[in-house]
Amino acid sequence: MNIRFPKSLRILAISLAAIGILALALSGVFTSISRLVVSPLTSIQTWVSQQYQGVENFISASQDIREIRQHNTELEAENARMQAQIVELQQQLIEYEILSALLEFARANPEHKYIGASVIGRDPSPFLNYIIINRGSDDGLKRGMPVVTQNGLAGRIVQVTASGARVSLITDPVIRINVRIEPSRSTAVLSGSITGDITLEQIPQQAEVNPGNLILTSGLGGNYPQNIIVGQITSVRYLENALFQSASVQPVTDFDDLAIVLVITNFDPVDIAPLLPNADTP
Amino acid sequence: MSVILSIPVLSIITILQSAVISRLPLVSGTADLMLVLLVAITLQKSVNTAWQWSIVGGLLTDFFSGLPFGLFTVSYLITTGIAHVLRERIWRFSFLMHLLVVLSGIIITHTFSYLVLFLQGNSLQFTSVLQAVTMPSIILSFMLSLPVYIIVQDVVEQLKPTE
Repeated sequence: MNIRFPKSLRILAISLAAIGILALALSGVFTSISRLVVSPLTSIQTWVSQQYQGVENFISASQDIREIRQHNTELEAENARMQAQIVELQQQLIEYEILSALLEFARANPEHKYIGASVIGRDPSPFLNYIIINRGSDDGLKRGMPVVTQNGLAGRIVQVTASGARVSLITDPVIRINVRIEPSRSTAVLSGSITGDITLEQIPQQAEVNPGNLILTSGLGGNYPQNIIVGQITSVRYLENALFQSASVQPVTDFDDLAIVLVITNFDPVDIAPLLPNADTP
Repeated sequence: MSVILSIPVLSIITILQSAVISRLPLVSGTADLMLVLLVAITLQKSVNTAWQWSIVGGLLTDFFSGLPFGLFTVSYLITTGIAHVLRERIWRFSFLMHLLVVLSGIIITHTFSYLVLFLQGNSLQFTSVLQAVTMPSIILSFMLSLPVYIIVQDVVEQLKPTE
């Protein structure tokens, strides 16, 4: 038999049942029941949550590792760039020190005009002590112009092209320079050698020459201006019955480490060849 | 190997010789990279343009050197001739052959240089030249010989199929 209640009565019954359940829940009757039901669910939820956390950590950690590696690569690149910059700055510092010393030399010798030039090479032959500089006739350089460093005389230009010049160093075996010894003011001739050593020849026998004496250009012969420091005497060879004394000289310029030089541009060498005695002339 | 290729390659070698090798002396001697390279090229059986390479190498070195023009060209051509003779007469080459030709080349170049400077009125002591220039140059050139020989051999092997 199917009894059908009116709709309003059903709603009332359901409402009363709901209120009753709520009342029972609030009074704590359901607590023990809910513990029994929720407890395993909580355990399952905890396990699921832990697994989820694990997966999340794994994913985020791999993401972090990628980021750390990327960051590390960036830092390494930055480090390499900084290292290169340090080397460049050190190079610039060395160049600055050389230029500063050259400027001091130029200020101390204001009677000359100078052009700075970088040493870009050396002669391929070991028989010649030549250097090649990066300034040439386009910069106003001419054959015969003297070349100095911050310490003193380096050599003279022997060949010029448009953008470069070849400089014969004072250590070259071909070179001969008229010099003056200080403080005795005796004159002598300085000559280079194949080994790069320089010696003083034709020092008068009566001249008082000692180790430590300074050697300066005398200006005789017209190839070099006067009073440019060349070097210092290290030892003297005196023979009783010889015509001249000779001496070994330590140059003031370090020729193994030449990087920048100054060319004296306002000095015109004098060609004295026509004045020299010729065998053909009567 | 193409003669056209010789111009850029030997130009770089000349610049290296002047800017780097000549700044690394032993006593007063320096290695002759150009000579070592030209000898290594000439001794390769498959290379038939060694004379042209020697002329280009000699002229480039002459342009950079203060010694009379043509000295290096003539020296390198004579060295190439020696290498050619040895290449034709001896069927199998070893690295020792390369060293022997480099030694001959340095002696020829230095003899010419010495004679030229002597004729110009510079009295160079023979023993000083031998001790301070020639012997150190030979040692330095020998040190360069092995890497240059291997590189040239590999490059020629690589280029051979295209010739």
